[in-house]
Amino acid sequence: MKLILTGILAGLLAATAAKADEMAFTSWGGTTQEAQTKSWAAPFEASSGIKVLQDGPTDYGKLKAMVDAGNVTWDVVDVEMDFAIKAAKDGLLEPIDYAIVPKADLDPRFSNEHAVGSFYYSFVLAWNKGAVSGDTASWADMFDTKKFPGKRTFYKWSAPGVIEIALLADGVPADKLYPLDLDRAFKKLDTIKSDIVWWSGGAESQQLIASGEAAFGQLWNGRVFALQQDGTDVGVSWKQNLTAADVLVVPKGAKNKDSAMKFLAAATSPAGQAKFAEASGYAPINTKAKAEMTADAVKALPDAHVDGQINLDMNYWAEHRDEIATRWYAWQTK
Amino acid sequence: MQGNSLRRGAIAGLPAGSGGALPAVVLVGLFFVVPVVALLLRSVTDPEPGLQNYAALFGSGTYVRVFLNTFLVAAVVTAVTIVVAFPVAWMLAIMPPAFGSLVFGIIILSMWTNLLTRTYAWMVLLQRTGVINRTLMGLGIIQEPLPLINNLTGVTIGMVYIMLPFMILPLVGTLRAIDPMTLRAAALCGATPFQAFRRILLPLSLPGIAAGGLMVFVMSLGYFVTPALLGGTSNMMLAEMIAQTVQSLLNWGLGSAAAFVLLVVTMALYALQLRLVGAKRPAGGL
Repeated sequence: MKLILTGILAGLLAATAAKADEMAFTSWGGTTQEAQTKSWAAPFEASSGIKVLQDGPTDYGKLKAMVDAGNVTWDVVDVEMDFAIKAAKDGLLEPIDYAIVPKADLDPRFSNEHAVGSFYYSFVLAWNKGAVSGDTASWADMFDTKKFPGKRTFYKWSAPGVIEIALLADGVPADKLYPLDLDRAFKKLDTIKSDIVWWSGGAESQQLIASGEAAFGQLWNGRVFALQQDGTDVGVSWKQNLTAADVLVVPKGAKNKDSAMKFLAAATSPAGQAKFAEASGYAPINTKAKAEMTADAVKALPDAHVDGQINLDMNYWAEHRDEIATRWYAWQTK
Repeated sequence: MQGNSLRRGAIAGLPAGSGGALPAVVLVGLFFVVPVVALLLRSVTDPEPGLQNYAALFGSGTYVRVFLNTFLVAAVVTAVTIVVAFPVAWMLAIMPPAFGSLVFGIIILSMWTNLLTRTYAWMVLLQRTGVINRTLMGLGIIQEPLPLINNLTGVTIGMVYIMLPFMILPLVGTLRAIDPMTLRAAALCGATPFQAFRRILLPLSLPGIAAGGLMVFVMSLGYFVTPALLGGTSNMMLAEMIAQTVQSLLNWGLGSAAAFVLLVVTMALYALQLRLVGAKRPAGGL
């Protein structure tokens, strides 16, 4: 009895002691967050003794509510880069402490004063080989319903990607994409509107393609990678693949800011980035990471397809987020 | 009604027994009234004091369209639910009680299954490559898959399925209270079954239809998951639009305004319904 009591007491003490060294990491759930937990949180816990609590999914409204209410329970959050730029402008984020997070090897495309890269990815054209005769090759094929009948699937929300795809398909040269010609983009999208099935999450995009419900679509490369790993017969075209990034941010007033910065250093280290990239198929934002990856894993990365690759302009999107969203939903609900 | 003997100790001006309702009043105040007031305040103060959120709301073709669509979907769902629920409720009302309870149990059981699971099940059934379309095409009845999902059809099927118990329960109560002799009397007087239904059964069951219909309609107005998964973007309902406005665009003022307008319209409809049906309480019901 005494032994049990002592045990419980010791356990309680340990729990209180650990509480001082805890932090919360929030991401999008699913296979992505699993890979982040395994590649970043687990080794970080072992080396620093700081416990990383997992939370999610990321919710921008919740993040803002926490900061507004002065009760921030998330310390590091995985967000889309255009949101991070906007949120920094609105004063919702802590600056990144680059004295703790080594900056030298980080891809400058995906890190700035208030955000450090999490991973980057490409939108690629994927198709179900059973549902499409012949290989689709370019974004323009997605708008050619005569040559390629069937449903096509696109990302549902107003975000970088679909507008650019419509413009590229309509013949706009890659270097003339911005500022976005929204009228032209929606006119092009109108031509296939009734053939579009929207996906609102990664798992849904995989299901639509794998089942053949949609013959082809615009997918995140990591999701296509996972489908191929599962043995699904999907084709993929990297022509004009569109890069975008997730970044890690620290909400303003986060309670464990110091731990958060140390976590960021570990997450963006070559080792952390290499491990995550191998698990997810998404690309590392640390330029030294590839040296630590297997040759096969490197081949699956967007980095292997830089020819014709287009960087979606996150600064443009951050600035015009609301304006584009207004047009987007007006068009979509029509 | 309890007798006057219970009036002792009652607070002046309040009905007898009000003291016991205090916890409930506090609960309602804390969890319903306070948030609604906060919502209203936010809609006229965020980002700055004024009515600009309401101006933006009614000035936006998108929001107006989504509003109209929300009410259209709720109306269609309510109408179809009534038509489907009536025969089931009637069968339950005239069945031998033991068998009736069994069927009742099955209907209730469906309410205990997770909403998301049920909606995904419908996706599997309704998609172009789903069970229904595959079967019909396999039998040679159709050549092209029927568009059963990502449109109003899909939303209606999914939502009617979820709403059915809420319609059947009050209806069974009303129908059970109807004296079967009235129908026999109608038949003896030479009424055809349809005439008996239209002139006797239907009018007598109106209170149940009204109670269930209102509940289904109001619940449908706020639905999120089912329309999002089974509908297309042209069937977007207000809840999904508000979620986008708040979560992604961080425009809490506009989201609050939209939510508040929906609340006001819903309450107005409720008041209208109370007037139309009058003070007659539905017999039985939940």
